[in-house]
Amino acid sequence: MHTLKLLSAFFKVNVQMALAYRADTVVNILLNLMWLGWELLSLNIIFSNTTSLGGWGIGELIALLGVFRLVNTMMIALIWPNTEKFNQSIRDGSMDYTILQPANSMFLVTFSRMTIWRIWDLVLAIVLIVVGINISGDTTTSLNILTFILLTVSGAIIIYSLWIVLISLTFWFTKFDNNVTILQALLDAGRYPATVYPVWLRIIVTFVIPIAVATTVPLQALRGDLDAVRILMFIAIGIASFLVASRVWKAGLKRYSGASS
Amino acid sequence: MFLIFQRLWQVNWAEQWQYRANLIMYLLYWLVSPIIYLAVWTSIASSKGDVNGFTVNDFVTYYMVLLIADQITSNIVIFTMGYKIQDGTLSGELIRPIHPMLTNALVNNIAFKALTITGLIPVWIVLFFLFKPDFSTVTLTGILLSIPVMICAFFINYLISASITSIAFWTTRVYSINEFYWALILLFSGQFVPLSLMPKVIQEIAQYLPFQLLMYFPIQVILGNLSRPQIIQGYVMAGIWLLLALALFNWVWRNGVRRFSAVGA
Repeated sequence: MHTLKLLSAFFKVNVQMALAYRADTVVNILLNLMWLGWELLSLNIIFSNTTSLGGWGIGELIALLGVFRLVNTMMIALIWPNTEKFNQSIRDGSMDYTILQPANSMFLVTFSRMTIWRIWDLVLAIVLIVVGINISGDTTTSLNILTFILLTVSGAIIIYSLWIVLISLTFWFTKFDNNVTILQALLDAGRYPATVYPVWLRIIVTFVIPIAVATTVPLQALRGDLDAVRILMFIAIGIASFLVASRVWKAGLKRYSGASS
Repeated sequence: MFLIFQRLWQVNWAEQWQYRANLIMYLLYWLVSPIIYLAVWTSIASSKGDVNGFTVNDFVTYYMVLLIADQITSNIVIFTMGYKIQDGTLSGELIRPIHPMLTNALVNNIAFKALTITGLIPVWIVLFFLFKPDFSTVTLTGILLSIPVMICAFFINYLISASITSIAFWTTRVYSINEFYWALILLFSGQFVPLSLMPKVIQEIAQYLPFQLLMYFPIQVILGNLSRPQIIQGYVMAGIWLLLALALFNWVWRNGVRRFSAVGA
């Protein structure tokens, strides 16, 4: 209850901040539509030259685009603005105020900034997923859809946990403000099924920076490519990575000594 | 004048050299999408034998050369000058007796480029061994013919980008306009896929736009895929667009600076 109240307070503050820049919001949504147009056109170009990409059809790639956009929205609407604030707060010591507040510091650091208009992007992503599933149509069972949703959530949690670990490193190395760039750089690899990549790239996006776990894997579940053992394994990895991340965050917090000392 | 450029080079090289750690991140950022496109298209080509005549090796050589062409013809002027116009620090550069965009910012971009190309060399060699391209169609004439075009394309792109940056004299939303410009490049330059695989309409339009000069045209010249009349046509387009870009930049800049001083920033 307490958490929900905080969340809605953050939401309100961020809506107010966004309302100051209404024209920017309109421009941003137009640009967003332009990129969506480009993404669909590029899929169309690919599929005018072939009937399948690594065994996947156009419907499945549209659904994958939706999942990719979900992760991308998390990056742009939550992770970037909060990283910026976090890096700033380590440099000038305003992290003190965050720690003093009677709430979980990891929660505060995650949600204090939100790019509100991106909610629109979430809606678009869900539309893309639904349309994509309908086009590919044939054999999706409700069980497949359920595992798809579970694995999408756990994939997002894995990316989120990696982010927490990356920004926690700032507690040890103060001049580490490039922390999230590596995540963003590899994110584009989530647009296409990881199965088409050469082995070395597949290893990087699966094990090092697990973009594929958050994008390709849920889609594989939707197609019914994954057995129960693997599904449970990916969910377990999601839970484990969250636990590890909060441990690392706490350990990092202990190292924090303010900016003046 | 030569002495001025020499000094500017020393200052800007030293400035860029400070940020060499960021270079790795920048290279990583910028390498990922061509490699993804390469992987997607080679995967399609290897499952079907070829895509409209493009074999796996054609795609590999195309994107390997694209990495170099893109690095030579791109620029970062909007990020180095945009904020200076917005927060007024440009005043300091305006009172110098040299043109801020055409001397200091230009040399700064070239210094950045020199650094990134140095960083690209080892990466390119690693990719060469990973993908093992067959460059047997590349000739010395092709390489020599592509160099003037790429230099010309760099200046065309630089002047257009500088014009877009100068829109900051009027509005704060230059970055959005620049994003639109990037989308045009993506659509018409051959960055996503060799232009000859794009829909016919796009190919027709692309012929008359400057964007193909940034990537598709020099790549095809290097790979020896163009006939003599096609090469001549490309050179003519490059000349025309260079003049147009110069005129555009001069016009935008002159009106912009007038506005800048009128505000009294």
